[in-house]
Amino acid sequence: MDDTKTSPSIDLKGRRILVVDDDRVNLRIIGGILRHEGYEISEAASGEEALEAYAGHRPNLVLLDVIMPGIDGFQTCRSLKKTYGDMSAPVIFITAKSEADDIVMGFDAGGVDYLTKPFRPKEVLARIRTHLSNQLLVEQLSKANAAKDRFLGMCAHDLRNPLSSIRGLAELMNENAVGVLTDEQREIVHTIHGASQSMLQLVNELLDVATIEAGHLKNIEAAKKNTRIEMVNTTANPMIDIDRNKIRQVVDNLISNAVKYSPRGSVITVQVNEDESGAGFSVKDNGPGIPDGERHKLFKDYGRLSTQPTGGEKSTGLGLAICRKIVEAHGGTIGAENMAGHGSEFVVRMPRSK
Amino acid sequence: MNFSGSILLVDDEGHIRKFISLLLRHLGVKRIFEAKNGREALEVYHKERPDLIMLDVNMPLMDGIETLRELKKINPDCVVVMLTSLANRQTIDEAVANGAANYIRKDAPLEEIGRALAETMDTCFEKDVPEPGAPRAPET
Repeated sequence: MDDTKTSPSIDLKGRRILVVDDDRVNLRIIGGILRHEGYEISEAASGEEALEAYAGHRPNLVLLDVIMPGIDGFQTCRSLKKTYGDMSAPVIFITAKSEADDIVMGFDAGGVDYLTKPFRPKEVLARIRTHLSNQLLVEQLSKANAAKDRFLGMCAHDLRNPLSSIRGLAELMNENAVGVLTDEQREIVHTIHGASQSMLQLVNELLDVATIEAGHLKNIEAAKKNTRIEMVNTTANPMIDIDRNKIRQVVDNLISNAVKYSPRGSVITVQVNEDESGAGFSVKDNGPGIPDGERHKLFKDYGRLSTQPTGGEKSTGLGLAICRKIVEAHGGTIGAENMAGHGSEFVVRMPRSK
Repeated sequence: MNFSGSILLVDDEGHIRKFISLLLRHLGVKRIFEAKNGREALEVYHKERPDLIMLDVNMPLMDGIETLRELKKINPDCVVVMLTSLANRQTIDEAVANGAANYIRKDAPLEEIGRALAETMDTCFEKDVPEPGAPRAPET
């Protein structure tokens, strides 16, 4: 076990660990070992205390005893996962060696690992180091990835404007906007137009990657609330004539809305539909639905309803109005229905182009 | 396009001003004013009172949204079309919320830019109805 010393490359000093155990002696032992290692420790003697300490201390890792009076370790873990979703810190359970079932249940409850009593300090430190390192690496990776996306977006953005101008000016010259061209001049202008057009396309494709990745922000928003977005039949490829960016805006708006008004831990379903007359999609949520008598406000400018977002998000009251305008500009329709039971369904349909 | 009014074009990038102003002239717009930033735009607006303002979003000194707010303070009825390069939802929402009449993507094909302009004039100026649709046949 001495090879724990061979991985000192990642500095974990100051990482925060929450230790939860109703046994004061255990708390003191583990706390001592971990502090000695340079970690910052907070302690809780029950599940209830743990939830409170977690909210205040925001640990990077939780050591959680299974058997405690009040809410037990499993329940505490589930509660953390439900509240903080994918963003919650990894949980390592503390269990007695004889309780083999606990280990399985611990993984089911969302734990990443377990430690058995009595503790062997080196094992405790090795496991903690592994999970803290993983967590830190994921954190760094997602930061680096975000920086890459920003760079890519910026790059593409700064190339796009000049390219648009070059292409547009060439197009205007070709239309004799600055006088009639000779054959040779026209050929040159054609070349400039063609080259800038293909570069612009390339940059746009690059930028689409960045936009799609920015779309993951939605997923992160959703992950924070532990909301799952389920895609049904979204690989269908209906042939209708649309403004991609604007329809993307509609999809984006509807999904954001669904996330906004859905309770934590619910599922949002996005489905693509197609038939002879047209195509469209629907977004179903588990929110409170549209309050009676407020339907007429739904797609109007600033038409805020009495319903409140479930995660403290903001609403301008413009999102759905903009969706309606875009869909109607495509000759389509947008509507919303409350579903039997709970939630609402937003349906967009656009006619097949003639 | 039989738009007899004047247009103020605001963009910090010279090549964009060159491109859009040539396009406007090609579409038959006779009076075009240019400004490099929001502050300049407000000065020109005070002096010339153009009928329509085409306003870039990302500019130094005073950005498009702020300029839009200032313009609306001077004249709540002024017609402003935002020039965007990335149709970012938040920006568009904000522009619409602050009274922009429309938005145009700078990288859109010529006919689309023309169409969006005609559309705006159609809804905002009752007398000067321009011909609807594309100002030209697409090139093959």
